[in-house]
Amino acid sequence: MSDPPLIAKIPPGNGRIHFISHGIRSTFTELSSTYPLKLIASRDGTDNVGLVYILSYGGGLVGGDQIEVKAILGPDAVLVLLSQGSTKVFRTRPSIRQATVFPLQAQSTLSEQLATTQRLDFDINGALFLLPEPVTCFKAASYNQTQTFRLSPSASLAVLDWFTSGRRSLGEDWAFTRYYSLNEVWIADRRIIKDVTLLEKHDPTPAGLPPRSLADKLAPYACYATLILCGPLLQDVITSISAQYDQISVFKKSVPQDLIWSVSQINCASVVVRVAGKETETVKQWLKHQLGSLEAVTGPEIFQKCFA
Amino acid sequence: MNDGDETYIMLLLTDSNLPTGSFVASSGLESSIAHGFSSLTPSPLVTFIQDSLPTYARSTLPFVSDAHRVVARYKEEVEGSEGNVKAGGLEEASRQLAELDELYDTMTLNHVAKRASKAQGVALLTLFSKGFSQPPSLAAYTDAESRDKESKMRELLDGYKFKVRREDVQGHLPICWGALAAALGLKLERTQYLHLFLHARSLLSAGVRLNNIGPYGAQQLLLHAVRPLLEAEVTKCKDLQTGFLVVPGGNFNEPTQGPANTWPLGEILSSRHDLQHSRIFNS
Repeated sequence: MSDPPLIAKIPPGNGRIHFISHGIRSTFTELSSTYPLKLIASRDGTDNVGLVYILSYGGGLVGGDQIEVKAILGPDAVLVLLSQGSTKVFRTRPSIRQATVFPLQAQSTLSEQLATTQRLDFDINGALFLLPEPVTCFKAASYNQTQTFRLSPSASLAVLDWFTSGRRSLGEDWAFTRYYSLNEVWIADRRIIKDVTLLEKHDPTPAGLPPRSLADKLAPYACYATLILCGPLLQDVITSISAQYDQISVFKKSVPQDLIWSVSQINCASVVVRVAGKETETVKQWLKHQLGSLEAVTGPEIFQKCFA
Repeated sequence: MNDGDETYIMLLLTDSNLPTGSFVASSGLESSIAHGFSSLTPSPLVTFIQDSLPTYARSTLPFVSDAHRVVARYKEEVEGSEGNVKAGGLEEASRQLAELDELYDTMTLNHVAKRASKAQGVALLTLFSKGFSQPPSLAAYTDAESRDKESKMRELLDGYKFKVRREDVQGHLPICWGALAAALGLKLERTQYLHLFLHARSLLSAGVRLNNIGPYGAQQLLLHAVRPLLEAEVTKCKDLQTGFLVVPGGNFNEPTQGPANTWPLGEILSSRHDLQHSRIFNS
């Protein structure tokens, strides 16, 4: 009997990417994924730049889905990783996808089993531009995201991690149960960034105090973004964004602005940018504008697809 | 240490003249007001505390607790029946504090909060050696054994302060607070409680200085608003850990038990502190 195909050895919801450069061209030596995850390479990649879409069947993730992507990017290989439409996280419910065959971990609690989890693990020797659409958690959804980026000293990284308040057209505004996001950046053996955001449906306010919901705390904004920028290919973006930031002088305002942002330098080649906006579209346009100089690296065809 | 001794230490630590007071840090309150956020609510100071305290608890208490555990363990050895610290015990405790400090630094990405935390942290270490050590004029009246114990605790904390001065370690507030409180013999629960109390009180003092509230009003809030909030947050976060001290094989679940930022808006407002055209606080 012959060995089963390689894909059969990958558990459900898993994906692998191995992308290397041979001087003037790059190739995917591996690009595989299993239901409910789909990784699709676009043919638009030119020279050393590759474009992969990370998708899920049915256009969203349901409770219990566990997505895990491992990727290795060789020296000089530039990978742009996008999603199509926002990552929708449906409500947690006590049933999981019919086709889910992986065993639930015995030690994890029920709520963890029902949470949707997404893990990305990247070894980067070239560059990764991870610029997905924002995560939108529906009412009662529970989402765990863990992203680890291990960079060689000359590697570059742009990570956009953002979320919206939910389906506002249906009146959902910060109505999800839990959103957890962890981003770690390592350069060689040193961890330089560990960014953890946790949003939970609020506990009842102690008696005698005005009620304070998650929506109240995050008002008036409906979209929050964190942008991590590191390495040589991001220096133009970093220089430009830092210069604009340093020019800002805040005089006392009577009401909050429609969009607000901050820049914190991590080391000489890395910054963390945070943005909040009343409208997702405003945040998107702002990000696209700030990252404009990446077009010189990706080429116009691919850049057009980012923030499309 | 008996309950009376502990109460006395708590009284000393809550003195608003100490670096635990609030003369430099507003923890984002000044920036929040400047950015127009006080227009959104009828009681801006109460809501700021309601938003700030939970994220402060969730992100710093795990570090306070673990630093306390490290120093309390060392203190136990110092004061144990044999009175002997095991070989390398001092270095081990100092190294563990340094690792917690490093982890806190990589998790505190907001440069304004980082700066404020380091300034207050090193001040606490200085406070220990200068404000809590026995005065030389009374040393002659103390027995050799307790002098020896004190000097062993000072060896750890002073040694750590020198590392901060040499910039070998960061000296962040939660780590230094946990270490100081444990060195003084304060129990973990009280250390956690006091940590959050001091944060809330410093927000109120900042509110007074910013002319957002009067001193009596601040006192009213401290009693009637802060207390229930504080108790809720201590209850919620007292068992959180950094993940660093967990024994191999222990079941630490980072997403449910680890430190996290729970108020992304506060992060942006606090980071933008330095952009204010005029300001009176350092953070």
